[in-house]
Amino acid sequence: MTKVREHLPVILAGLVVGIASVVLVALGNPVNMGFCIACFLRDIAGGVGLHQAPIVQYIRPEIIGLVLGALIMALAGKEFKVRGGSSPMTRFVLGFCVMVGALMFLGCPLRMVIRLGGGDGNAILGLIGFIIGIFVGTLFLKKGFSLKKSQPQPKIEGLLMPAVGVGLLTLVIAAPAFIFFSTEGPGSMRAPIAAALVVGLVVGAIAQRSRLCMAGGIRDAMMLRDFHLLMGFVAIFVAVLVGNLIVGAMGLKGGFTPGFAGQAVAHTDGLWNLLGMVLVGLGSVLLGGCPLRQLILSGSGNSDSSVAVLGMVVGAAFCHNFGLASSTDGPSFAGKVAVIIGLVLVCVIGVGNTKKA
Amino acid sequence: MSSPSPSKEHIATFHTHFGALSFHKKLKALGDRAVMMPVPRKLSASCGTCVKFFLPFDPAWADEDLDGVYLREGETYQLLFENEET
Repeated sequence: MTKVREHLPVILAGLVVGIASVVLVALGNPVNMGFCIACFLRDIAGGVGLHQAPIVQYIRPEIIGLVLGALIMALAGKEFKVRGGSSPMTRFVLGFCVMVGALMFLGCPLRMVIRLGGGDGNAILGLIGFIIGIFVGTLFLKKGFSLKKSQPQPKIEGLLMPAVGVGLLTLVIAAPAFIFFSTEGPGSMRAPIAAALVVGLVVGAIAQRSRLCMAGGIRDAMMLRDFHLLMGFVAIFVAVLVGNLIVGAMGLKGGFTPGFAGQAVAHTDGLWNLLGMVLVGLGSVLLGGCPLRQLILSGSGNSDSSVAVLGMVVGAAFCHNFGLASSTDGPSFAGKVAVIIGLVLVCVIGVGNTKKA
Repeated sequence: MSSPSPSKEHIATFHTHFGALSFHKKLKALGDRAVMMPVPRKLSASCGTCVKFFLPFDPAWADEDLDGVYLREGETYQLLFENEET
């Protein structure tokens, strides 16, 4: 009974995230993209003009909700502890590389699970790559990898990321002429702002409370034989799968469509789907958590995670400015080169920050 | 101060995974049946690694990566040692 009580919060969190994802698709988000941290950060980068890819420009309220939801829950639980200063430049570069890998695959680990729940077989290759990347990351951890401890920081340091969120929310609501709104493509498919914000707030709060982390689940299972966080991962998949079967039967947007070809915002190049997620898995382990977890921590006072998120945003802008991101036609040559460079760079960072325990 | 209950379960929390790894090795070398595990949610919002051990805690074991040491009593944790930060 105690065990069930221990695991219940993360399982419930996973179920809520999965249901939220299906609901957001039904409300207007792209299919199999109710939630995607990488895609939505990329959309935000486009929304504020950091890149000019016209089909992926929109300040996504879900991301703002995640940060603010985590902030509210951390404050309520007296867990808003402002810390930072742990290898910030390294974290920025790791965040950048994680985004390069995610935009090769076309999704973060959370979207990978959501794609699996929608029947997208290409995400199986992504999952295999993600597991390989995490495995390599655990080897670095076992060898003594560390980005050094963080230090207590002034409260204002931890409040700046939520403040940026409030600023972005103001922009998307006011919609001044200088921000960008896609009129076609994934960026034009969006749930109403209020619904997206509320769902983001709820998911942000429960993710802070439950410590839900896509990379952490597999890492703990591999390293510590602990399956607690992995249960959240599985719960998301189950909720999305069941939710898709239900909305499919109801004739709503979304649904379960098994197969490889013709999947929403996805390509069928298995090797590069796999390698992209190897980079995401490895980078996430070295960062200490997946992109979702980095966002949640950034709302909880962790300025190191805020720097990692900024690295992801800049990485997304680079990916679209220099043709590194994949499209539904497949990966670009430049994108393949970028993933290989990213893998080498992340391994160099791993080796360079390893010392004997 | 040392733990008053040498055979009881202790939990040491850390700022880094490396700190947990080093502490675990240290305790194993001292003959303890220490194990690494995820930090209990009651102790931290972080998803880092902690070390469960049973020897009486000696503050001399503390390095800069150590955050705190707790004594487990049933479902509750009593703070035994909190590392000072400069």
